[in-house]
Amino acid sequence: MTALTQSVPDMEALIKDGSNKSALTCLHCPSRILNASVGTYVEKEFSLPAMTKLKSQTDTENHVLKDFWKVSDMFHFENVGFSHTADGVKYLTCADCEMGPIGWHDLQTKENFVALCRVKNS
Amino acid sequence: MAKTYDYLFKLLLIGDSGVGKTCVLFRFSEDAFNTSFISTIGIDFKIRTIELDGKKIKLQIWDTAGQERFRTITTAYYRGAMGIMLVYDITNEKSFENIKNWIRNIEENASADVEKMLLGNKCELSEKRQVSRERGEALAIEYGIKFMETSAKASINVEEAFYTLARDIKAKTEKKLKEASNPPKGGHQLKPAEPQRKPTNWLSRCSLL
Repeated sequence: MTALTQSVPDMEALIKDGSNKSALTCLHCPSRILNASVGTYVEKEFSLPAMTKLKSQTDTENHVLKDFWKVSDMFHFENVGFSHTADGVKYLTCADCEMGPIGWHDLQTKENFVALCRVKNS
Repeated sequence: MAKTYDYLFKLLLIGDSGVGKTCVLFRFSEDAFNTSFISTIGIDFKIRTIELDGKKIKLQIWDTAGQERFRTITTAYYRGAMGIMLVYDITNEKSFENIKNWIRNIEENASADVEKMLLGNKCELSEKRQVSRERGEALAIEYGIKFMETSAKASINVEEAFYTLARDIKAKTEKKLKEASNPPKGGHQLKPAEPQRKPTNWLSRCSLL
């Protein structure tokens, strides 16, 4: 399993008063995930399975990410999918095309984290 | 943070396996981004936001996660459910016959006032049809619930079905709230019918796997 670190270019432009300046949509389809100003920017290291892999790959790569939008209540999302529990968390996906994981749901704190680099900041 | 919605409804999809429930859970499959990681672990539930008569409604929609293979669903799954979509496949007689068993399962496990709706899915497959529309309608009348034939694949009625169920739950909820704050005194109140709005959104994009 390889660990890759991904960062978000020009992050400052995405944040306003600590929140997401614009609405978040899926990278793959037009589905709206979160309205503007609903998420709080947090820096937190977390390893998320890759969204894509090559056909030749058997293992899913993990990516170590550190920039997330924290959503305190799952019902603050506009549209989102929750996976079954795996690795002690629920992974978040696009509700329409099911692209993911775009983040994770912490079963203890009930907080949700959406990776900045896995959504479109429209 | 301020509440970002007016109502929250928990909905369940129930029916035999293979009737297209997951699809009615409006996966955008024509253009689905099939990441092997997510499809291996599977989706537990989805949160959807719709607007009805100016109210913002959050729908939390649960699939049965394969429990239906045992032809019974546990009480825990029904807890808090306000609406249930009973789904059969019009090309599969057995799935239609089993609706009665599912209704019995619901009566035994779910709250008595849960709003139910019957969906005959896969109506685009007319050449393979085994269950007539009339039989579907008759069954729905027998149970006093609404009925629609849907095609998740051809985007027929799926969106309408969810709006209909949500609208009925909303009406029931508002009636309860009103009665709680203002007990009826025996008079009748007439209210003009609300116009049927038809926003375009995710449900229309669903298709069958």
